[in-house]
Amino acid sequence: MIKFIHAFLLIAGLIFLQVFDLQAQAKFTISGYIKDASNGEALIGAAVYVKELGTGNATNEYGFYSITISAGTYTVSYSYVGYQVSAQTVQLDKPVELNVELKAESEELEEVVVTAELEQANAKNAEMSTNKMEIKTLLKLPPLFGEVDVLRSIQLLPGVSTVGEGASGFNVRGGSVGQNLILLDEAPVYNSSHLFGFFSVFNPDAVKDVKLYKGAIPAHYGGRLASILDVRMKEGNNKKTEVTGGIGTVFSRLAVEGPILKDKASFIIAARRSYIDVLAKPFVPLLKDGGALNFYDLTLKANYKINQKNQVYLSGYFGRDNFRFDKRQGFNWGNTTSTIRWNHLYNDRLFSNVTLVYSNYDYKLQFGKDNRNNFSWKSSISNFIFRPQFTYFINSKNELNFGADAIYYTFTPADAVGVTNGKAVDVSLDKKYNLETALHIGNKQTLNDVLSVDYGIRFSNFQYFGPGSAYTYNDTVPGLRRTPTGEIKYKKGQSIANYSNWEPRFSFKIQSSETSSIKGSYNRMVQYLHLISNTTASNPLDVWTPTSNNIKPEIGDQFTLGYFKDVGSQHQYEVSVEGYLRYTKNQIDYIDGADLLINRYLEGDLLSGKGRAYGVETYLQKKTGKITGWVSYTLGRTELKVDGINNNEWYKARYNQTHNLKVVAFYDINARWSVSTNFVFSSGTPTTFPTSRYVQQGIVVPYNANNARNNVTIPSYHRLDISFKLEGRKVSKKGVARKNTDNWVFSVYNVYARKNPFSIYFSQEDVRTTSGETIKTHATKLSIIGTLIPSISYNFKF
Amino acid sequence: MTKFILNIFSIALVSAALLSCETIIHPKLESADPVLVVDAWLTNKSDTQTVILTKTQPYFDNTTPTSVSGATVTVEDNHGNTLTFTESSEKPGYYQWVPASNEVIGQVNDSFELTINVEGETFTASSHMGRVPAIDSISFDEDTQIGTNDKIYQGEFWATDPAGKGDTYWIKAYKNGVLLNKPSEINIAYDASFSAGGETDGVTFITPIRRGINPQDTDANDNPLSPYAVGDSVNVQIFSITLQAFNYLNEVVTQTNRPGGFQELFSTPLANVSTNIVNGNAKGSKVVGFFNVSAVTSLGKKFVKP
Repeated sequence: MIKFIHAFLLIAGLIFLQVFDLQAQAKFTISGYIKDASNGEALIGAAVYVKELGTGNATNEYGFYSITISAGTYTVSYSYVGYQVSAQTVQLDKPVELNVELKAESEELEEVVVTAELEQANAKNAEMSTNKMEIKTLLKLPPLFGEVDVLRSIQLLPGVSTVGEGASGFNVRGGSVGQNLILLDEAPVYNSSHLFGFFSVFNPDAVKDVKLYKGAIPAHYGGRLASILDVRMKEGNNKKTEVTGGIGTVFSRLAVEGPILKDKASFIIAARRSYIDVLAKPFVPLLKDGGALNFYDLTLKANYKINQKNQVYLSGYFGRDNFRFDKRQGFNWGNTTSTIRWNHLYNDRLFSNVTLVYSNYDYKLQFGKDNRNNFSWKSSISNFIFRPQFTYFINSKNELNFGADAIYYTFTPADAVGVTNGKAVDVSLDKKYNLETALHIGNKQTLNDVLSVDYGIRFSNFQYFGPGSAYTYNDTVPGLRRTPTGEIKYKKGQSIANYSNWEPRFSFKIQSSETSSIKGSYNRMVQYLHLISNTTASNPLDVWTPTSNNIKPEIGDQFTLGYFKDVGSQHQYEVSVEGYLRYTKNQIDYIDGADLLINRYLEGDLLSGKGRAYGVETYLQKKTGKITGWVSYTLGRTELKVDGINNNEWYKARYNQTHNLKVVAFYDINARWSVSTNFVFSSGTPTTFPTSRYVQQGIVVPYNANNARNNVTIPSYHRLDISFKLEGRKVSKKGVARKNTDNWVFSVYNVYARKNPFSIYFSQEDVRTTSGETIKTHATKLSIIGTLIPSISYNFKF
Repeated sequence: MTKFILNIFSIALVSAALLSCETIIHPKLESADPVLVVDAWLTNKSDTQTVILTKTQPYFDNTTPTSVSGATVTVEDNHGNTLTFTESSEKPGYYQWVPASNEVIGQVNDSFELTINVEGETFTASSHMGRVPAIDSISFDEDTQIGTNDKIYQGEFWATDPAGKGDTYWIKAYKNGVLLNKPSEINIAYDASFSAGGETDGVTFITPIRRGINPQDTDANDNPLSPYAVGDSVNVQIFSITLQAFNYLNEVVTQTNRPGGFQELFSTPLANVSTNIVNGNAKGSKVVGFFNVSAVTSLGKKFVKP
């Protein structure tokens, strides 16, 4: 550790020597916040541009910016996509604090909007492998069951895929579902789904900004191999009280936001609940007898600006899915997160944020008809996070980020009791305690007009400590269950396993012309938590398990290279081609017949192997005009090599998709009607077919004579969705402007009712046989959604 | 365990399942050479013991498997006794040993080695006869069907796993003389619960295992039927099996219990189940199947009145 601190200081020192402008010259800082004029929400990633110098910067996650330049008179423009540009003349002979509120674009101001796009041109932005999903865009996409959904929407971005409807989570560049870090106001969300995978836990009414990092991941993020999905909640309107809501096919929603102290403090409370059970109650006996089938979530946030230098934010999420067959039997699961953040400005160049997080995911099952015979099982993962982060805006060419993370985890794999004839048997498993810590530093540096770089390093450490037992296992033929050979008991606080890793991050941008650039990156990611799931789609009972003496941390190295270009007289088109290549090691797989639930010796059922994923993402977006939208095409491959599977040869991962095409288009028909549509095509995912069969004790067992895994692909998936939106009248029939706004959304999911295959499975006919009798076998294609789904939803705001 | 939980999930998802659809298809499969199949599950009961030898067949071939004739099949115990299984004249591929009155294959704690000489190759396998608890009683009780709230009758057997970790069992049930042998009806136990990690040594079998003797039948509209009705009889048998056989059956359940529908979301990849049959020549022909010798206890009961 001490060695590490020395190294850290040395590196930090070297960077400082390089980046400080040592010439004595009067320099001053312009800093402040950029906000939305209508509701006071901070704008994340808004651009600040100093015309005379041709340099600029962007606001951070809290809307803060800072630029330090030589004294002089400058024209500084502030812009954000979809907002009018604000240009200000600044006399810089002392530090200037300039808070700017931007007004949303209106149709008459198209010209100005284009200017905004220019400043934020894709090719000029140093970031790569990231996608931002504007909440406005998200609200326009055709919804399933009338419900706009964050995770469903990001599946329309390049490099993001899913194994099918109903599957929880998403796959990024060939990563598994458990290799995505999903953050809601910096709190990890361990299960992002309601009702298995049909809806995500994020209430769109409370979401402000969604950003997905697929590569070139900055040093302040870590902990998962494939991606970081950073979801930021709205702060709440600090100008006026506003109520939004809606009734969809599945949820009814209501959100209230408003100022607590004008321009100083505001809040938002957003709630949703499924209501099918309420409607069905009179008709379904199960629901009358204490049964339940519902899911809901509540999202809260408040902030208080103490003064120009200090601001605090409190945010919380609570969501739950409930399935109960009667008063005693059923199961439920849900996430809870809470985040406290404190922004502090040490001076106009040093911004800091300290975050405290508590987050928890748990599920409970209970069965049995009375107190004498029942079974109950609870499982959870919870964590506390302490995360100080600093941004030092050194000068107009350097922005230094540094900070630390400390995450304390408690895993409760099973808190389970079975009662038989009044006699209780506790089958609980030991809790597991872990501490994940990291130090990180990174600098964004503009070297000259052509080259800019972002480099950083993250040092992470993971400790597994007592109280608890660690097991050792025998070695056997790979692919067979390993049996425990020893148990070592550890006292409280005693170290069971300890791993450390350096995670270098580097990216560059070469501005090849005013409108084009080449960007590349390398990053190493390390993952210490593993989602244990060997099923086709992940499910709420999938357990997270920590790195241990038997499970090594997963490590991924990703390289990316891309070309970005802005096209069109007004740069209305954005084109990019990006290649990625990722090698991973210590990926987890499972023995055949693995027992993953309430298994003390789970580790004996796990296998470890390596992976490789590579592909090309092409993307064309039209950003302005009557028709907008994008086309994204990804060509990719993901393979795994695990001893004990597929004769120890490389095989395609379950979520491998060779071709993946998405077309999204929006069209404004007139002032009130608009239409949006999307088309999705993806190659079939791999699966395993048997070659042969044999009978054992009257049961037909499938057999693959080549012992292959994922040797065939299922038919391809394609689907068209369409949605029409009717805005309510802006003026009432009497000609008075309406205070309230509302809209109707009519949509059809899977327009041509294709029966897209989710999987193909092989089974014997469902009969009992006697010895010697022949048994029929067949293959079945399953479509989760085998029809078109029309829906209507109504949304309002007043 | 997983099976049990997923059954519960699928009940919860019945409503959503209305949107899904299933189609029987006939994909082309890779062709493969047939492989020897050994089906050798012997017991300590004093009745005819059979080892069946067949060949694997293409997956969609719904005919009777090809039998393998002309093999020599012997079982030797750890006391040096060798039993010879001779091929049945009526049923080719069925190799049988018919005990004399009250004669049995062996006792609890005996070890056995199966040897098969066929087509110029030698295959061997070993097994060990574990102990098995007596069944104390069988009860029938009234319950309500989850989902429909219909009144149903469930059977339940009562037995206690003996103290000492690592006993493994296969519990079979016959309803009115018919063996419940759908893949979904395979009922196995590690001590008194589902797995080694369950830590349920020396206690009464847990509820899902005790109730694993109920047939899983549905009517023409796919509604579950009451497992038992007045007048039905049930016979429950507990077979001791080796740990290897327990793992093997776990794999068989995973691969063959495919009720479809939403449960497919949570199904695991198709993979070959293991085998304990070994070809003396590691480079020789492949073989599949299993050899196990069980001790058996049984109890029957007729459901007279609720």
